[in-house]
Amino acid sequence: MHPLRDKTAVVGVGASPQGKIPDATALSLAVEAFKRALDDSGLRKEQIDGLLTMPGSTSPEAALNYLRFGETVGINPRYTGSKVMGGGTAGALLHEAALAVNAGFANHVACVFGDAAATGGSRFSRASGWGDSFAIWGFMAACANSAITAARHMALYGTTSRQLGEIAVACRYHASLNPNAVMRKPITIEDHQNSRWIVKPLHLLDCCLISDGGVCVIVTTAERARDCKKPLVLISGMGQAYTTENMEREDWWYVPHQKLALADAYKMAAVGPKDIDVAQLYDNFTSSVLVWFEHGGFCKVGESGPFVEGGRIRLGGELPINTAGGNLSESYMEGWLHIVEGARQVRGECGERQVKGAEVCLVTGRGQALNCANATILRKG
Amino acid sequence: MSEYTKPLPTITDENREFWEGARRGKLRMQKCRDCGHIRYPISHCCPKCLSYNFEWTDLSGRGEVFSYVVFHQLYNQAFKDDVPYNVALVQLEEGPRMYSNVVGVDNDAVKVGDKVEAVFDPVTPEVTIPRFRLRQPAK
Repeated sequence: MHPLRDKTAVVGVGASPQGKIPDATALSLAVEAFKRALDDSGLRKEQIDGLLTMPGSTSPEAALNYLRFGETVGINPRYTGSKVMGGGTAGALLHEAALAVNAGFANHVACVFGDAAATGGSRFSRASGWGDSFAIWGFMAACANSAITAARHMALYGTTSRQLGEIAVACRYHASLNPNAVMRKPITIEDHQNSRWIVKPLHLLDCCLISDGGVCVIVTTAERARDCKKPLVLISGMGQAYTTENMEREDWWYVPHQKLALADAYKMAAVGPKDIDVAQLYDNFTSSVLVWFEHGGFCKVGESGPFVEGGRIRLGGELPINTAGGNLSESYMEGWLHIVEGARQVRGECGERQVKGAEVCLVTGRGQALNCANATILRKG
Repeated sequence: MSEYTKPLPTITDENREFWEGARRGKLRMQKCRDCGHIRYPISHCCPKCLSYNFEWTDLSGRGEVFSYVVFHQLYNQAFKDDVPYNVALVQLEEGPRMYSNVVGVDNDAVKVGDKVEAVFDPVTPEVTIPRFRLRQPAK
């Protein structure tokens, strides 16, 4: 048995209001999320002795965010730090928190993120590449990397834009059942097809939102978690992997590291794709979700297009995904809300959007220019 | 010709050979003197064997479209007269891949797998940008 399997737990989750919140800041949203997660866990602030943060795109203190946040909420942690891996950060910090409490570096670690990207302007349109930036050729913005993936997937496997639309439509349907989601009006495949091009082959409705909001997740040992307020959510498996060679690695476009991250998480938890009741798959763009199905063994390489058809990924289907709406429709919290929803599904507290009997949830994260990936298996205790 | 306002490289000792090559109509990249790996992006160090020894080598300029996207969204005002414009990830014959544009045809005329060859676009007196055009199937 893997020594980290089921040794740690998510005991508190909290999210601030999401959307466009002009009088808030990245910091104030993070603080509100922290307070709500504390309340959710039943822990007192004084019990939080670990603090891991991700600075938002609008946090001026950048990687010193842990100092700014810690000072604001009056914590002097035994273990702390900030990490910047875009959408790969939430999962990476969750894992770091699990390792820290398992090692005894801290007893209760709060993982925190806040951003005012909708109000404060965004940095999501910057060019990739160092030195001679690819912007010389007009290659810029997060959407472009995922469009590269989508275009090649379509060319190699015959994947269609309508299949990408299935993912957008499913996420929106789930958001329609989530009172806290930003975009709740259901859409159709035709709406998706008629939405304007952003970076072709991706339409507007293939793209995530840009949002203000904060999220906090509190982690402790499984043993301590039994004394907390809510039903036990065990961290059963964890995996991370990275491809930092964008241009040098031929299959970079296919994010091969995602498969490694998933394999490690499955192995630690001793589960496989057939055991997953519900999945929260990182969806910065619809095309990102396709590749998760292939790397996670839910379908064969190249077959994720047909896989998402026919309601399979909607509530009531074989593998409901992004049951709160995801980055595409709930709010763009760079994957932090995927962990929150994963914990809530396993607890069984999702009301109308609850996957009946959900005991095992896969949560994935990815970030930067297709560089960072992580996977977590949450399991009902 | 109006002033060129789109992003330009900052020519440094590290990248000068690439941009001087383009001015002379040659696509040039760094080849490791120890392991022979041809690398891109430009770097002082071979990502395969970590050697600092390299030479600049002329490439054929031929390759094929590895992936291909068309920017409709305007992310940088300097491109406002260009949208929609294409960006191709080009697989070069000698191994490296690079981003560039396919010129001389409609955006819809290009697809993944198409054979391309480098052409050189002098945008300022100092900078010539390597781009690509479709190779005729007969060639």
